Amino acid sequence: MSTPSEHPLPVCQAKDFKSDLKPIWCPGCGDFGVVQAIYRALAAIGRPPHEIAFVSGIGCSSRIPGYTTAYGFNSVHGRALPIAQGIKLANPDLLVLVAGGDGDGFSIGGGHVPHAIRRNLDLTYIVMDNQIYGLTKGQLSPTSPRGLKTVTSEYGSFENPVNPLLYVLAYGAGFVAQGTPADMASLSQVIEEAIRYPGFSFVNVQSPCVTFGEPEQQVKQHRAMMKPLATMGHDRTNRLAAMGLAQEYGRSLHTGVFYADPAPPTPLDGLVRGRQAELAGKGLPRERILEMFLQK
Amino acid sequence: MAIPTLDFGELSLRDALDLAVLIEEESKERYEELANQMLIHRNLEAERFFWKMVQIELTHERKLSFRRKRLFHHEPVRVTRAMLFDVEAPEYDQVRATMSVREALGVALSAEKKAYAFFETTLPAVKDPQARELFTELRNEELEHCGMVEAELARLPPEPMMTTDDFADEPVAH
Repeated sequence: MSTPSEHPLPVCQAKDFKSDLKPIWCPGCGDFGVVQAIYRALAAIGRPPHEIAFVSGIGCSSRIPGYTTAYGFNSVHGRALPIAQGIKLANPDLLVLVAGGDGDGFSIGGGHVPHAIRRNLDLTYIVMDNQIYGLTKGQLSPTSPRGLKTVTSEYGSFENPVNPLLYVLAYGAGFVAQGTPADMASLSQVIEEAIRYPGFSFVNVQSPCVTFGEPEQQVKQHRAMMKPLATMGHDRTNRLAAMGLAQEYGRSLHTGVFYADPAPPTPLDGLVRGRQAELAGKGLPRERILEMFLQK
Repeated sequence: MAIPTLDFGELSLRDALDLAVLIEEESKERYEELANQMLIHRNLEAERFFWKMVQIELTHERKLSFRRKRLFHHEPVRVTRAMLFDVEAPEYDQVRATMSVREALGVALSAEKKAYAFFETTLPAVKDPQARELFTELRNEELEHCGMVEAELARLPPEPMMTTDDFADEPVAH
Protein backbone atom coordinates (compact mmCIF):
# COMPACT_ATOMS: atom_id res chain seq x y z
CA MET A 1 0.00 0.00 0.00
CA SER A 2 1.28 3.45 -0.76
CA THR A 3 0.48 6.92 0.47
CA PRO A 4 -1.29 9.37 -1.83
CA SER A 5 1.61 11.82 -1.84
CA GLU A 6 3.92 9.31 -3.56
CA HIS A 7 1.87 9.48 -6.75
CA PRO A 8 2.08 12.55 -8.95
CA LEU A 9 -1.00 13.34 -11.04
CA PRO A 10 -0.88 11.28 -14.25
CA VAL A 11 -0.29 12.88 -17.64
CA CYS A 12 -3.70 11.71 -18.84
CA GLN A 13 -6.63 10.57 -16.77
CA ALA A 14 -8.83 7.66 -17.77
CA LYS A 15 -11.61 10.02 -18.90
CA ASP A 16 -9.21 11.69 -21.35
CA PHE A 17 -9.29 8.47 -23.38
CA LYS A 18 -13.08 8.44 -23.62
CA SER A 19 -14.18 9.74 -27.01
CA ASP A 20 -17.29 11.80 -27.75
CA LEU A 21 -18.89 8.88 -29.58
CA LYS A 22 -21.63 7.29 -27.47
CA PRO A 23 -21.49 3.48 -27.32
CA ILE A 24 -24.48 1.78 -28.94
CA TRP A 25 -23.93 -1.56 -27.22
CA CYS A 26 -26.95 -3.11 -25.50
CA PRO A 27 -27.29 -1.75 -21.96
CA GLY A 28 -25.84 -4.38 -19.62
CA CYS A 29 -23.15 -5.48 -22.13
CA GLY A 30 -19.83 -6.58 -20.64
CA ASP A 31 -17.92 -4.41 -23.11
CA PHE A 32 -18.85 -1.24 -21.16
CA GLY A 33 -16.68 -2.45 -18.30
CA VAL A 34 -13.89 -3.58 -20.64
CA VAL A 35 -13.58 -0.19 -22.30
CA GLN A 36 -13.44 1.49 -18.86
CA ALA A 37 -10.65 -0.90 -17.85
CA ILE A 38 -8.78 -0.05 -21.06
CA TYR A 39 -9.08 3.72 -20.34
CA ARG A 40 -7.71 3.10 -16.85
CA ALA A 41 -4.83 1.00 -18.11
CA LEU A 42 -3.90 3.61 -20.73
CA ALA A 43 -3.96 6.36 -18.10
CA ALA A 44 -1.67 4.27 -15.89
CA ILE A 45 0.73 3.69 -18.79
CA GLY A 46 1.03 7.47 -19.11
CA ARG A 47 1.30 7.74 -22.91
CA PRO A 48 -0.78 10.52 -24.53
CA PRO A 49 -3.51 9.60 -27.03
CA HIS A 50 -1.47 10.68 -30.07
CA GLU A 51 1.09 7.96 -29.28
CA ILE A 52 -1.52 5.18 -29.31
CA ALA A 53 -3.12 3.28 -32.20
CA PHE A 54 -6.11 1.03 -31.61
CA VAL A 55 -7.03 -1.49 -34.32
CA SER A 56 -10.05 -3.78 -34.42
CA GLY A 57 -11.90 -6.09 -36.76
CA ILE A 58 -15.68 -6.39 -37.01
CA GLY A 59 -18.21 -7.11 -34.30
CA CYS A 60 -19.74 -5.47 -31.24
CA SER A 61 -16.45 -5.32 -29.36
CA SER A 62 -14.61 -4.06 -32.44
CA ARG A 63 -16.35 -0.73 -31.95
CA ILE A 64 -13.94 0.01 -29.12
CA PRO A 65 -11.45 2.09 -31.16
CA GLY A 66 -14.30 4.50 -31.94
CA TYR A 67 -14.99 4.94 -28.25
CA THR A 68 -11.35 5.63 -27.44
CA THR A 69 -9.49 8.88 -28.01
CA ALA A 70 -6.44 7.68 -29.94
CA TYR A 71 -5.63 6.74 -33.52
CA GLY A 72 -8.18 4.09 -34.42
CA PHE A 73 -9.00 1.72 -37.25
CA ASN A 74 -12.22 -0.32 -37.17
CA SER A 75 -10.96 -2.55 -39.97
CA VAL A 76 -11.99 -5.68 -41.84
CA HIS A 77 -13.44 -8.83 -40.27
CA GLY A 78 -10.64 -10.93 -38.82
CA ARG A 79 -7.85 -8.74 -40.18
CA ALA A 80 -7.06 -6.54 -37.20
CA LEU A 81 -3.79 -8.34 -36.40
CA PRO A 82 -2.14 -7.98 -39.85
CA ILE A 83 -3.11 -4.30 -39.96
CA ALA A 84 -1.79 -3.73 -36.45
CA GLN A 85 1.48 -5.45 -37.37
CA GLY A 86 1.85 -3.15 -40.37
CA ILE A 87 1.22 -0.10 -38.20
CA LYS A 88 3.76 -1.24 -35.62
CA LEU A 89 6.43 -1.96 -38.21
CA ALA A 90 5.85 1.37 -39.96
CA ASN A 91 5.91 3.30 -36.70
CA PRO A 92 7.49 1.24 -33.92
CA ASP A 93 7.16 4.12 -31.47
CA LEU A 94 3.36 3.84 -31.42
CA LEU A 95 1.72 1.87 -28.66
CA VAL A 96 -0.49 -0.51 -30.66
CA LEU A 97 -3.56 -2.18 -29.19
CA VAL A 98 -5.70 -4.70 -31.04
CA ALA A 99 -9.24 -5.61 -30.03
CA GLY A 100 -12.02 -7.83 -31.28
CA GLY A 101 -14.38 -10.62 -30.44
CA ASP A 102 -13.91 -14.37 -30.29
CA GLY A 103 -15.41 -14.80 -33.75
CA ASP A 104 -13.20 -12.12 -35.25
CA GLY A 105 -10.08 -13.50 -33.58
CA PHE A 106 -10.54 -17.27 -33.60
CA SER A 107 -12.79 -17.94 -36.57
CA ILE A 108 -12.31 -15.67 -39.57
CA GLY A 109 -9.07 -14.21 -38.17
CA GLY A 110 -7.86 -17.42 -36.58
CA GLY A 111 -5.11 -17.94 -39.13
CA HIS A 112 -3.46 -14.66 -38.22
CA VAL A 113 -3.09 -15.36 -34.51
CA PRO A 114 -0.21 -17.90 -34.67
CA HIS A 115 1.75 -15.71 -37.07
CA ALA A 116 1.30 -12.60 -34.93
CA ILE A 117 2.57 -14.66 -31.99
CA ARG A 118 5.61 -16.12 -33.77
CA ARG A 119 6.56 -12.73 -35.25
CA ASN A 120 6.37 -11.33 -31.73
CA LEU A 121 5.75 -7.66 -32.39
CA ASP A 122 5.11 -5.51 -29.35
CA LEU A 123 1.30 -5.58 -29.60
CA THR A 124 -1.44 -6.14 -27.04
CA TYR A 125 -4.35 -8.20 -28.31
CA ILE A 126 -7.54 -7.94 -26.24
CA VAL A 127 -10.26 -10.43 -27.17
CA MET A 128 -13.75 -9.86 -25.80
CA ASP A 129 -14.88 -13.45 -25.65
CA ASN A 130 -18.68 -13.73 -25.34
CA GLN A 131 -19.02 -17.18 -26.91
CA ILE A 132 -21.57 -15.98 -29.46
CA TYR A 133 -21.93 -13.80 -32.55
CA GLY A 134 -23.93 -11.03 -30.90
CA LEU A 135 -23.94 -8.35 -33.59
CA THR A 136 -25.58 -10.71 -36.10
CA LYS A 137 -28.19 -11.88 -33.56
CA GLY A 138 -26.82 -14.92 -31.84
CA GLN A 139 -25.16 -17.55 -34.00
CA LEU A 140 -22.59 -20.12 -32.85
CA SER A 141 -19.10 -18.68 -32.50
CA PRO A 142 -15.79 -20.56 -32.26
CA THR A 143 -15.84 -20.42 -28.46
CA SER A 144 -19.52 -21.39 -28.01
CA PRO A 145 -19.76 -24.30 -25.59
CA ARG A 146 -20.72 -27.73 -26.89
CA GLY A 147 -24.46 -28.22 -26.69
CA LEU A 148 -25.32 -24.53 -26.95
CA LYS A 149 -28.64 -23.93 -28.71
CA THR A 150 -28.62 -20.96 -31.05
CA VAL A 151 -30.34 -20.00 -34.28
CA THR A 152 -27.62 -21.93 -36.13
CA SER A 153 -27.59 -24.91 -33.76
CA GLU A 154 -31.23 -25.79 -33.24
CA TYR A 155 -30.36 -29.09 -31.52
CA GLY A 156 -27.33 -27.77 -29.65
CA SER A 157 -23.79 -27.37 -30.93
CA PHE A 158 -22.06 -30.62 -31.89
CA GLU A 159 -18.65 -28.95 -31.99
CA ASN A 160 -16.02 -28.49 -29.32
CA PRO A 161 -15.12 -24.86 -28.66
CA VAL A 162 -11.76 -23.29 -29.45
CA ASN A 163 -9.81 -22.70 -26.25
CA PRO A 164 -8.27 -19.22 -26.79
CA LEU A 165 -5.92 -19.47 -23.80
CA LEU A 166 -4.53 -22.87 -24.74
CA TYR A 167 -4.30 -21.80 -28.38
CA VAL A 168 -2.07 -18.78 -27.74
CA LEU A 169 -0.01 -20.54 -25.07
CA ALA A 170 0.67 -23.43 -27.44
CA TYR A 171 1.88 -21.04 -30.14
CA GLY A 172 4.33 -19.46 -27.72
CA ALA A 173 2.75 -16.16 -26.68
CA GLY A 174 4.97 -14.47 -24.09
CA PHE A 175 2.15 -12.97 -22.05
CA VAL A 176 -1.27 -14.56 -21.58
CA ALA A 177 -3.95 -13.37 -19.19
CA GLN A 178 -7.70 -13.49 -18.64
CA GLY A 179 -10.11 -11.05 -17.04
CA THR A 180 -13.76 -10.20 -16.65
CA PRO A 181 -15.67 -6.91 -16.34
CA ALA A 182 -16.99 -8.32 -13.06
CA ASP A 183 -13.69 -7.10 -11.59
CA MET A 184 -12.79 -3.97 -13.53
CA ALA A 185 -9.93 -2.98 -11.21
CA SER A 186 -8.11 -6.28 -11.76
CA LEU A 187 -8.95 -6.25 -15.45
CA SER A 188 -7.36 -2.83 -15.90
CA GLN A 189 -4.25 -4.00 -14.03
CA VAL A 190 -3.97 -7.08 -16.25
CA ILE A 191 -4.37 -4.95 -19.40
CA GLU A 192 -1.77 -2.49 -18.11
CA GLU A 193 0.64 -5.35 -17.48
CA ALA A 194 -0.03 -6.76 -20.95
CA ILE A 195 0.74 -3.39 -22.52
CA ARG A 196 3.97 -3.15 -20.54
CA TYR A 197 5.10 -6.60 -21.66
CA PRO A 198 7.73 -6.12 -24.40
CA GLY A 199 6.29 -8.37 -27.11
CA PHE A 200 3.02 -9.93 -28.18
CA SER A 201 0.63 -10.04 -25.25
CA PHE A 202 -2.83 -11.56 -25.14
CA VAL A 203 -5.73 -10.83 -22.81
CA ASN A 204 -8.88 -12.91 -23.07
CA VAL A 205 -11.77 -11.04 -21.50
CA GLN A 206 -14.88 -13.01 -20.67
CA SER A 207 -17.28 -10.25 -21.67
CA PRO A 208 -20.85 -11.53 -21.59
CA CYS A 209 -23.42 -10.81 -24.27
CA VAL A 210 -26.46 -9.58 -22.35
CA THR A 211 -28.87 -10.19 -25.24
CA PHE A 212 -27.82 -13.57 -26.69
CA GLY A 213 -25.47 -14.92 -24.02
CA GLU A 214 -26.29 -17.67 -21.56
CA PRO A 215 -27.95 -16.48 -18.31
CA GLU A 216 -25.37 -18.38 -16.24
CA GLN A 217 -22.49 -16.61 -18.03
CA GLN A 218 -23.36 -13.02 -17.13
CA VAL A 219 -21.29 -10.55 -15.10
CA LYS A 220 -23.26 -11.27 -11.92
CA GLN A 221 -22.39 -14.96 -12.20
CA HIS A 222 -18.76 -14.11 -12.99
CA ARG A 223 -18.52 -12.29 -9.65
CA ALA A 224 -19.46 -15.48 -7.86
CA MET A 225 -17.40 -17.94 -9.90
CA MET A 226 -14.14 -16.14 -10.76
CA LYS A 227 -10.92 -17.51 -9.30
CA PRO A 228 -8.08 -14.97 -9.20
CA LEU A 229 -4.82 -16.75 -10.05
CA ALA A 230 -2.94 -14.42 -7.70
CA THR A 231 -4.63 -16.11 -4.76
CA MET A 232 -3.94 -19.66 -6.00
CA GLY A 233 -0.16 -19.66 -5.80
CA HIS A 234 0.10 -20.10 -9.58
CA ASP A 235 3.65 -19.74 -10.98
CA ARG A 236 3.16 -17.34 -13.88
CA THR A 237 6.61 -18.10 -15.28
CA ASN A 238 5.69 -21.75 -15.88
CA ARG A 239 4.15 -22.24 -19.32
CA LEU A 240 3.17 -25.85 -18.68
CA ALA A 241 1.41 -24.92 -15.44
CA ALA A 242 -0.39 -22.17 -17.36
CA MET A 243 -1.46 -24.68 -20.02
CA GLY A 244 -2.77 -26.97 -17.31
CA LEU A 245 -4.94 -24.18 -15.93
CA ALA A 246 -5.96 -23.07 -19.42
CA GLN A 247 -7.50 -26.49 -20.03
CA GLU A 248 -10.19 -25.55 -17.55
CA TYR A 249 -11.44 -22.84 -19.94
CA GLY A 250 -15.22 -23.12 -20.16
CA ARG A 251 -15.46 -24.88 -16.81
CA SER A 252 -13.66 -22.46 -14.47
CA LEU A 253 -13.15 -18.72 -14.71
CA HIS A 254 -9.52 -18.11 -13.77
CA THR A 255 -8.57 -14.44 -13.82
CA GLY A 256 -5.16 -12.83 -13.87
CA VAL A 257 -1.87 -13.64 -15.56
CA PHE A 258 -1.54 -17.25 -16.76
CA TYR A 259 1.91 -16.81 -18.20
CA ALA A 260 4.51 -14.04 -18.46
CA ASP A 261 7.86 -14.90 -20.00
CA PRO A 262 10.45 -14.06 -17.34
CA ALA A 263 13.08 -13.33 -20.00
CA PRO A 264 11.19 -11.85 -22.97
CA PRO A 265 13.13 -11.91 -26.25
CA THR A 266 13.58 -8.68 -28.20
CA PRO A 267 10.36 -8.17 -30.18
CA LEU A 268 10.49 -7.99 -33.97
CA ASP A 269 9.84 -4.25 -34.06
CA GLY A 270 12.85 -3.83 -31.76
CA LEU A 271 15.01 -5.88 -34.13
CA VAL A 272 13.72 -3.86 -37.11
CA ARG A 273 14.43 -0.63 -35.28
CA GLY A 274 17.97 -1.81 -34.53
CA ARG A 275 18.51 -2.82 -38.16
CA GLN A 276 17.22 0.56 -39.38
CA ALA A 277 19.60 2.37 -37.03
CA GLU A 278 22.48 0.19 -38.23
CA LEU A 279 21.70 0.95 -41.88
CA ALA A 280 21.04 4.64 -41.34
CA GLY A 281 23.08 6.63 -43.83
CA LYS A 282 24.21 3.49 -45.65
CA GLY A 283 21.06 2.96 -47.67
CA LEU A 284 20.59 4.01 -51.28
CA PRO A 285 18.62 7.17 -52.06
CA ARG A 286 15.03 6.35 -53.01
CA GLU A 287 15.39 7.52 -56.62
CA ARG A 288 18.34 5.15 -57.01
CA ILE A 289 16.26 2.24 -55.72
CA LEU A 290 13.64 2.96 -58.39
CA GLU A 291 16.34 3.03 -61.08
CA MET A 292 17.60 -0.38 -59.98
CA PHE A 293 14.05 -1.74 -59.93
CA LEU A 294 13.36 -0.47 -63.47
CA GLN A 295 16.66 -1.91 -64.77
CA LYS A 296 15.63 -5.39 -63.66
CA MET B 1 3.48 4.04 -13.33
CA ALA B 2 1.47 1.29 -11.68
CA ILE B 3 -2.15 1.86 -10.74
CA PRO B 4 -1.87 3.49 -7.30
CA THR B 5 -3.82 2.19 -4.35
CA LEU B 6 -5.05 4.03 -1.29
CA ASP B 7 -3.68 3.68 2.19
CA PHE B 8 -6.66 4.71 4.30
CA GLY B 9 -4.49 4.94 7.37
CA GLU B 10 -2.68 7.89 5.78
CA LEU B 11 -5.80 9.82 4.75
CA SER B 12 -6.05 13.35 6.12
CA LEU B 13 -9.31 15.31 6.18
CA ARG B 14 -8.24 17.05 2.98
CA ASP B 15 -7.56 13.71 1.25
CA ALA B 16 -10.85 12.31 2.54
CA LEU B 17 -12.77 15.31 1.18
CA ASP B 18 -11.02 15.05 -2.17
CA LEU B 19 -11.79 11.35 -2.27
CA ALA B 20 -15.45 12.02 -1.51
CA VAL B 21 -15.61 14.57 -4.36
CA LEU B 22 -14.07 12.04 -6.76
CA ILE B 23 -16.52 9.34 -5.67
CA GLU B 24 -19.45 11.64 -6.45
CA GLU B 25 -17.86 12.65 -9.77
CA GLU B 26 -17.43 9.00 -10.78
CA SER B 27 -21.02 8.24 -9.85
CA LYS B 28 -22.32 11.27 -11.75
CA GLU B 29 -20.39 10.28 -14.88
CA ARG B 30 -21.73 6.72 -14.72
CA TYR B 31 -25.32 7.95 -14.45
CA GLU B 32 -24.66 10.18 -17.45
CA GLU B 33 -23.49 7.12 -19.38
CA LEU B 34 -26.56 5.14 -18.35
CA ALA B 35 -28.85 8.04 -19.33
CA ASN B 36 -27.21 8.14 -22.76
CA GLN B 37 -27.58 4.36 -23.11
CA MET B 38 -31.29 4.70 -22.39
CA LEU B 39 -31.61 7.58 -24.86
CA ILE B 40 -29.94 5.55 -27.61
CA HIS B 41 -32.36 2.68 -26.94
CA ARG B 42 -35.37 5.03 -26.72
CA ASN B 43 -36.19 4.21 -23.12
CA LEU B 44 -37.09 7.77 -22.22
CA GLU B 45 -38.55 7.09 -18.75
CA ALA B 46 -35.39 5.41 -17.53
CA GLU B 47 -33.34 8.08 -19.28
CA ARG B 48 -35.16 10.82 -17.34
CA PHE B 49 -34.59 8.96 -14.09
CA PHE B 50 -30.86 8.59 -14.72
CA TRP B 51 -30.56 12.29 -15.59
CA LYS B 52 -32.25 13.03 -12.26
CA MET B 53 -29.58 10.93 -10.56
CA VAL B 54 -26.91 12.92 -12.43
CA GLN B 55 -28.32 16.11 -10.91
CA ILE B 56 -28.40 14.57 -7.42
CA GLU B 57 -24.79 13.37 -7.63
CA LEU B 58 -23.73 16.74 -9.06
CA THR B 59 -25.33 18.52 -6.09
CA HIS B 60 -23.43 16.23 -3.67
CA GLU B 61 -20.20 16.80 -5.56
CA ARG B 62 -20.63 20.58 -5.48
CA LYS B 63 -21.44 20.63 -1.76
CA LEU B 64 -18.32 18.61 -0.97
CA SER B 65 -16.17 20.72 -3.32
CA PHE B 66 -17.39 23.91 -1.65
CA ARG B 67 -16.55 22.49 1.77
CA ARG B 68 -13.11 21.43 0.59
CA LYS B 69 -12.41 24.87 -0.85
CA ARG B 70 -13.58 26.58 2.32
CA LEU B 71 -11.30 24.47 4.51
CA PHE B 72 -8.27 24.02 2.32
CA HIS B 73 -8.53 26.70 -0.39
CA HIS B 74 -6.21 25.78 -3.23
CA GLU B 75 -3.98 23.28 -1.43
CA PRO B 76 -2.97 20.53 -3.88
CA VAL B 77 -5.02 17.40 -4.41
CA ARG B 78 -3.12 14.22 -3.51
CA VAL B 79 -5.71 11.60 -4.41
CA THR B 80 -6.71 10.73 -7.96
CA ARG B 81 -9.49 8.86 -9.73
CA ALA B 82 -6.95 6.10 -10.40
CA MET B 83 -7.07 5.28 -6.69
CA LEU B 84 -10.74 4.32 -6.66
CA PHE B 85 -12.95 2.20 -8.84
CA ASP B 86 -16.73 2.03 -8.84
CA VAL B 87 -17.35 3.11 -5.25
CA GLU B 88 -20.81 4.62 -5.79
CA ALA B 89 -21.09 4.23 -9.54
CA PRO B 90 -24.06 2.09 -10.59
CA GLU B 91 -23.09 -1.23 -12.18
CA TYR B 92 -23.11 -1.48 -15.97
CA ASP B 93 -24.47 -5.01 -15.93
CA GLN B 94 -27.61 -4.09 -13.97
CA VAL B 95 -29.20 -1.99 -16.69
CA ARG B 96 -31.30 -3.21 -19.58
CA ALA B 97 -32.64 -1.49 -22.67
CA THR B 98 -36.22 -2.21 -21.65
CA MET B 99 -35.91 -1.55 -17.94
CA SER B 100 -38.72 0.16 -16.01
CA VAL B 101 -38.28 3.14 -13.70
CA ARG B 102 -38.73 0.75 -10.80
CA GLU B 103 -35.80 -1.31 -12.07
CA ALA B 104 -33.77 1.86 -12.59
CA LEU B 105 -34.45 2.79 -8.97
CA GLY B 106 -33.23 -0.67 -8.02
CA VAL B 107 -29.95 0.09 -9.80
CA ALA B 108 -29.61 3.33 -7.85
CA LEU B 109 -30.41 1.54 -4.59
CA SER B 110 -27.64 -1.01 -5.25
CA ALA B 111 -25.20 1.84 -5.92
CA GLU B 112 -26.10 3.57 -2.63
CA LYS B 113 -25.74 0.28 -0.74
CA LYS B 114 -22.36 -0.28 -2.37
CA ALA B 115 -21.19 3.18 -1.27
CA TYR B 116 -22.42 2.52 2.27
CA ALA B 117 -20.46 -0.76 2.32
CA PHE B 118 -17.35 1.07 1.08
CA PHE B 119 -17.40 3.60 3.94
CA GLU B 120 -18.37 0.94 6.48
CA THR B 121 -15.48 -1.32 5.38
CA THR B 122 -12.81 1.37 5.13
CA LEU B 123 -13.74 3.35 8.25
CA PRO B 124 -11.80 1.13 10.70
CA ALA B 125 -8.59 1.77 8.73
CA VAL B 126 -8.90 5.58 8.78
CA LYS B 127 -6.73 6.96 11.59
CA ASP B 128 -7.05 10.74 11.32
CA PRO B 129 -9.93 11.74 13.69
CA GLN B 130 -11.31 14.43 11.36
CA ALA B 131 -11.16 12.11 8.35
CA ARG B 132 -12.90 9.45 10.43
CA GLU B 133 -15.61 11.93 11.32
CA LEU B 134 -16.12 12.76 7.65
CA PHE B 135 -16.20 9.08 6.62
CA THR B 136 -18.77 8.41 9.37
CA GLU B 137 -20.89 11.32 8.13
CA LEU B 138 -20.65 10.10 4.52
CA ARG B 139 -21.52 6.55 5.53
CA ASN B 140 -24.60 7.76 7.36
CA GLU B 141 -25.60 9.90 4.38
CA GLU B 142 -25.45 6.85 2.14
CA LEU B 143 -27.79 5.10 4.52
CA GLU B 144 -30.17 8.07 4.30
CA HIS B 145 -29.99 7.93 0.51
CA CYS B 146 -30.88 4.23 0.62
CA GLY B 147 -33.94 5.14 2.68
CA MET B 148 -34.91 7.86 0.20
CA VAL B 149 -34.66 5.49 -2.77
CA GLU B 150 -36.63 2.83 -0.91
CA ALA B 151 -39.34 5.39 -0.12
CA GLU B 152 -39.45 6.37 -3.79
CA LEU B 153 -39.77 2.71 -4.74
CA ALA B 154 -42.66 2.30 -2.30
CA ARG B 155 -44.48 5.24 -3.93
CA LEU B 156 -44.34 3.67 -7.39
CA PRO B 157 -47.22 1.52 -8.59
CA PRO B 158 -46.43 -2.22 -8.75
CA GLU B 159 -44.67 -3.60 -11.81
CA PRO B 160 -46.94 -4.59 -14.69
CA MET B 161 -47.38 -8.28 -15.39
CA MET B 162 -45.01 -8.11 -18.37
CA THR B 163 -41.30 -8.49 -17.76
CA THR B 164 -38.32 -7.36 -19.79
CA ASP B 165 -38.21 -10.84 -21.32
CA ASP B 166 -41.42 -10.01 -23.14
CA PHE B 167 -39.55 -7.25 -24.97
CA ALA B 168 -36.30 -9.19 -25.58
CA ASP B 169 -34.90 -9.08 -29.06
CA GLU B 170 -35.27 -12.77 -29.74
CA PRO B 171 -33.31 -14.42 -32.57
CA VAL B 172 -35.47 -14.52 -35.71
CA ALA B 173 -33.10 -16.00 -38.30
CA HIS B 174 -34.62 -19.50 -38.43
